[in-house]
Amino acid sequence: MDVEREPFDRKLSRKEMLRLAGFAAGVTVVAGPAAACGAAAKHASTTTAKETGQLRVLDWAGYCNDMPHHATYTEYLRKYPENKPQYTFMTNESDALGKIRGGLKVDLFRPYVGWVEYFATSGLVEPWTTSLISNFKQLNPFMIKAGQYQGKQYGIPDDWGFDAVLYRSDKVKPTAESWGLIFDERYAGKIAWFDDLEMITIAGMHLGATDPWNQTSAEQDKSRSFLISKKHLARTFWSSETDLWQSFGSGDIWIAYAWPNDWVQMKAKGLPVVYMHPSVGKEKPIAWVGMFMLLKETPRPKAAHAYVDAWSAKKSAVWLENNYGYGHANTEARPTSSDLLNALQLTNPHAVGLPNAYLDRNIDQRATYARLWEEVKAA
Amino acid sequence: MGRGEGGLTLDATAPEAAAPARRRRRRFDLTTPALLAPPVSWLAVFFLAPVVYVALYSFNVLALPPQATGFSVSAWHALIHGGVYLSLFWKSVQMSLLVSALVVVVAYPLAYFLALSGTPRKYILLLLLIAPFLTSYLLRVLAWKVILGDHGVINTFLSWVGLRSAEHPLSFLLYSRFAVMLVLGYVWLPFVALPIFVTLESLDRKLLEAASDLYASRLQAFVRVTLPLSMSGVVAAFLFVFIPTVGEFVTPTLVGGTSGYMYGNQIHDLFNSGFPDWQIGATLSLFLLGVVAALTLVFIRFLRVGEARAA
Repeated sequence: MDVEREPFDRKLSRKEMLRLAGFAAGVTVVAGPAAACGAAAKHASTTTAKETGQLRVLDWAGYCNDMPHHATYTEYLRKYPENKPQYTFMTNESDALGKIRGGLKVDLFRPYVGWVEYFATSGLVEPWTTSLISNFKQLNPFMIKAGQYQGKQYGIPDDWGFDAVLYRSDKVKPTAESWGLIFDERYAGKIAWFDDLEMITIAGMHLGATDPWNQTSAEQDKSRSFLISKKHLARTFWSSETDLWQSFGSGDIWIAYAWPNDWVQMKAKGLPVVYMHPSVGKEKPIAWVGMFMLLKETPRPKAAHAYVDAWSAKKSAVWLENNYGYGHANTEARPTSSDLLNALQLTNPHAVGLPNAYLDRNIDQRATYARLWEEVKAA
Repeated sequence: MGRGEGGLTLDATAPEAAAPARRRRRRFDLTTPALLAPPVSWLAVFFLAPVVYVALYSFNVLALPPQATGFSVSAWHALIHGGVYLSLFWKSVQMSLLVSALVVVVAYPLAYFLALSGTPRKYILLLLLIAPFLTSYLLRVLAWKVILGDHGVINTFLSWVGLRSAEHPLSFLLYSRFAVMLVLGYVWLPFVALPIFVTLESLDRKLLEAASDLYASRLQAFVRVTLPLSMSGVVAAFLFVFIPTVGEFVTPTLVGGTSGYMYGNQIHDLFNSGFPDWQIGATLSLFLLGVVAALTLVFIRFLRVGEARAA
């Protein structure tokens, strides 16, 4: 006697299984482009319509942009009380690049000066209409120039600072004001490097490369080998400031590649710290300037301009200087701390240029530099 | 008579009479496909399709603009002949194997005690074992920084008892391979104990009694009965740790420093930092997936052979 098997017991043949998988894959293939087409159509309709929807900002984490006490935020909301910005965070420019290329829709974002040319030529951004930014005339002309590409204003300068060396003055006795301190054998295991391809530039500068931002193949190999040979001295590569503050503040680290805000934070913890500007030979700090960039064909250009205008205001600038220890492109802003004023040379309109520092610049071989840095980390 | 028999047939005298099974009325039953469709679709959309996408990136059929697309095996060439990536992979495999083996060795006695000691409080003890899971992963890992730091609990204690000067703490405790392996072991210990516990608890105790009746010592009974029969749990536990840890990047990021950098960190960095290189990142990801899949198959094969021998 044959007994019919329960449906649950019936095994699927390979053919049936393949058919099911094929059906599911087909759904994916058909539904994906259809959804994308729908999104594109929607985008096209919004660009021609009145500005609607929340302003979308891609910015670095840690600026507390959406906090009610943030001067920029309140300044912007004065003009657009009904349009609170929606923030997405970037950990660095390449993270932003990946997110935008991956389909993230934002109106503006904030890479740094070394990336202006890259993004300007990428087809992702468009120039600003500076006449819509009332505070533009108060911004540092040198930095404004740095935000231009082929005469067009692709970047609106905002905060600025330096890449330099932070160290504990009670533990560390530098032999010279040099980047060499982050490669100093005497302090093995007490040093933190920055997790960025900028380390290739720093190594090149320290080793005397003709142009650290455009090293020859031989110079690149030398920089890479040098960093690998010194890697054992570095205890961590930091990519988040909070990690650096934790390790530096707890005494695990005494020397670090750092930004001005790190010096401010460590001083606030009561640590005896010095923010050293390298000056031996051709060595100098690297200066960076944040640059707001406008995404191409954004549906909210006016709101984006208003947001950048708010960032550029003197009130916002003073707030940033006092709370973060960074400089601001607004030349009328002055921090309340005279220490900070002196350390950042805020009264010097050329603080971010020679002879004080090298302004960060485009790296034509950025992909190669990135690969070299990855090899250093993996070695 | 079965439920399917006696239905309508076109020709009762046809050869089907000799084969009752074939004579059954064919019913188009949608139950099984309907039940299987959601998980199969899920796998297709969220596993197979992403893997295919990653593969397309690794061969440059898809590329992150402005890089031009075009089939290329250059990333695979870089992986195999570059040396850097493979040595990092090997380093991660070594770390992961060591962690997995040590954790299994530590977890086995725990699971053995809980399953076979006959203590009435075994489920309470089991709950205690998995209690750390009630807090966040990040918090548990970060707590180790407080314990292992230069001015952390251990170094402070060593300094206090005079075994180490405060100026020369044990710096290898944090931001090192040791720290990564210690924290990974701690995090995965309960995962390892559970499958071993389940296997041991389902063990037929009569087998142990029989071994005892046959004058086997407790050690002999363990080696010849308990251990072979619990090997499925041991292998499952080992894989539970090895598979996720070989591609781990969160723990090394937090406590690994420069020397605890692992293969998973490299993949993460290639996709996210410096300058995105999705082609090599995708290649490294696929390589990891392939190696882990192959190792899993080897382990499963080993497990089946072991089970057959035990039977």
